[in-house]
Amino acid sequence: MKRLVLTAALMMVLTGAARGEDLVSGISQDIIEITSNYTGTDIVVFGAIERPRAAQGRAIAVVVRGPSTLLTVRRRDRVAGVWVNRDSAKFDGMPSYYYLASTEPVDRLAPPRVLTRHGIGAEYLQPAAVGSHHDARPFREAALRHLKQDGLYKEAPGTIDFLSETLFRTRIPVPGEVARGQYNVEVYLLRDGEVVSAQSTPLFIDQTGIERRLFNLAHNAPLAYGLICVFMAMLLGWISSVLFRRPA
Amino acid sequence: MEIYLPVAEMSVYWLVMIGLGLGVGFLSGMFGVGGGFLMTPLLVFSGIPSTVAVATTLSHVTASSVSGALAQWRKNAVDFTMAGVMLGGGVVGTVLGVWLFAHLRRQGQMDLIVSLTYVIMLGSIGTIMLRESLTTLTAYRSGQAPSSRPVNHVWIHRLPWKMRFRQSRLYISVIPPVVLGFFVGALGAIMGIGGGFIIVPAMIYLLRMPTNVVMGTSLVQIVALTAITTVLQATSNYSVDIVLALLLVIGGVVGAQMGVRAGAKLRGEQLRLLLAIVVLTVCLGLLWGLIAPPGDVYSLTLGVA
Repeated sequence: MKRLVLTAALMMVLTGAARGEDLVSGISQDIIEITSNYTGTDIVVFGAIERPRAAQGRAIAVVVRGPSTLLTVRRRDRVAGVWVNRDSAKFDGMPSYYYLASTEPVDRLAPPRVLTRHGIGAEYLQPAAVGSHHDARPFREAALRHLKQDGLYKEAPGTIDFLSETLFRTRIPVPGEVARGQYNVEVYLLRDGEVVSAQSTPLFIDQTGIERRLFNLAHNAPLAYGLICVFMAMLLGWISSVLFRRPA
Repeated sequence: MEIYLPVAEMSVYWLVMIGLGLGVGFLSGMFGVGGGFLMTPLLVFSGIPSTVAVATTLSHVTASSVSGALAQWRKNAVDFTMAGVMLGGGVVGTVLGVWLFAHLRRQGQMDLIVSLTYVIMLGSIGTIMLRESLTTLTAYRSGQAPSSRPVNHVWIHRLPWKMRFRQSRLYISVIPPVVLGFFVGALGAIMGIGGGFIIVPAMIYLLRMPTNVVMGTSLVQIVALTAITTVLQATSNYSVDIVLALLLVIGGVVGAQMGVRAGAKLRGEQLRLLLAIVVLTVCLGLLWGLIAPPGDVYSLTLGVA
C-alpha cells in the first residue's frame, strides 16, 4: 500500500507543471458499495506537494463533503406541562456528512474569511438558504452539536501523516449510516493562511446487489413491493401456524 | 451479526430484531392483540426512523395476527360478519390516516401527536381493563358468580341499520362497529398499530360481544387492515423496509404461537389484568417522555421534512 502510494505520488510529481508550490492528490477508492453487511469503511486520501517550499507556514486540510441536504432544527417549549415543538429554523444546502482532517486545529489554518470562503471547518459552513422567523444562531449551533454527536460532522486535527517531506496521507472513516450519493474529497494546501492549491475528487457511495434491487423496487414498483411484504408476512404466519398445529 | 436495511438505509443487529419480534409476538398471541403499540416505540428506541418503524411494524402485526387468527378460526371463534363490517369503516380510516401521517410529519408535530394519542388511548383503556379484571377476580375469590351480563348501553340499541351477527349472538346497529373500524384504521396508519388493544376492549365493553369470539374476530380484522395499510404506506410514503419486516416477522410468528399456548392456560380476566398492566406500563413510559424536561430542547431532522 505504502509503495503504491509512493509510486503514484512520484508519477504525479514528474508530470506536474513547472510553476509554484502545487498539490496532487488521490483517494484509495472512488466508489463505496453498500452491501448487506456494510457497517462503515475507511478511505485513504493521499497527496504530494510539488516544488515544496519551507515546511514552516504550510498546512494541509482534507475535507470530505456529503450530498447537500436540508437541516430542520426544532425547539421544544413547555406548554401546559408538555414539551411541544414550537419554533423551528431550516438550513438548506448543508452537507449531510462533513469530515475535516488537517495538520493544525481549524482556527490556526487560516483566518475566518478564508475558512468561510472554502467551507473549511464545520463552524464555517454557510447554508445556501436560511428559513427562520427569529435569530437563527442558537438553532445553527444546535444543528452542529447534533451532527457532531451523531458522528456526521467531525473535525480531526493532527491526523495527516507525512510519509516524507512532501508525501502525506490520511485515513478517513466513513460511518455506516451516511446518505447515498456523490461525495467530494477536497485537499487544500495552505500557506500563511491562504489557500495556494486545492484539488477535488468525487467519491460515490451507493447501494449494490440485492439491497440496490430492493430499494429500487420499493421506489419504482411500490404496489408490487407492498404486496410482496404482505404476502411474505401472511405466508410466514400461515407456515408457523401449520408447523405448530401438531402437538409438540 | 449486522445486516443493512435497504429502505431505512442503516444497519442493525439482526438477532436483536428477531428477538424483538419474538417477544412482542408472544404477547400478541397471548392477548389477541397485534403488538404494534409495543413494537413501534421499541423500534424507534433502537434507532429506526419513526416513519419506517410505523410502516414496517404493520407487517409484523399482519404475520403474528395471521397465525393467531388461524388458531382461533380452528376453534370456530371468529365472527366474519363483524370483521367485515368493521373493515368497511377501517379502509376509509386508513386512507385518511396515511394522509394525516404525511401532513403531521411536515408540521413537525408527528411525535407529539403520536405520543399524546398513545398516552390517552393506552391510559384510558388500561385503567378500564385493570378495574374490570380486578373486580371480576375479587368476585371469583369471594366465591360469588361474577355478574356476567353487564348494563346495556341503551343508546347503542336506539341506532338504526340493525344487523344480525350470528356468531356473536348480537342484533345491533352497524354504526358502532363501522365507527370503531374507522377510528382504528386511522390510528393504525398514524401509530403503526393493528389496533387490537382498542378493538378488544371496545368489543367487550361497547359492543358486548362474547369474550370467546372477541380474540378471533379482532385478529381477522387486524390482518386485513394491516395488509391494506402496508400497501398504502408502501405506495405513498415508501417507508416499508422488507428486510426489517422479514426479521420481525420470523420472530413474530414463532412468538405468537407460543403466546397462544400460554394464553390458553389463563382465564379471560387474568389475561385482561396482565394486558392492562402491560398497557399502563407503556402509557406511563410515554407520559414520562412528554413531561420530563428533555436533555436537549433542540432536535434535528435531515432531508426533506
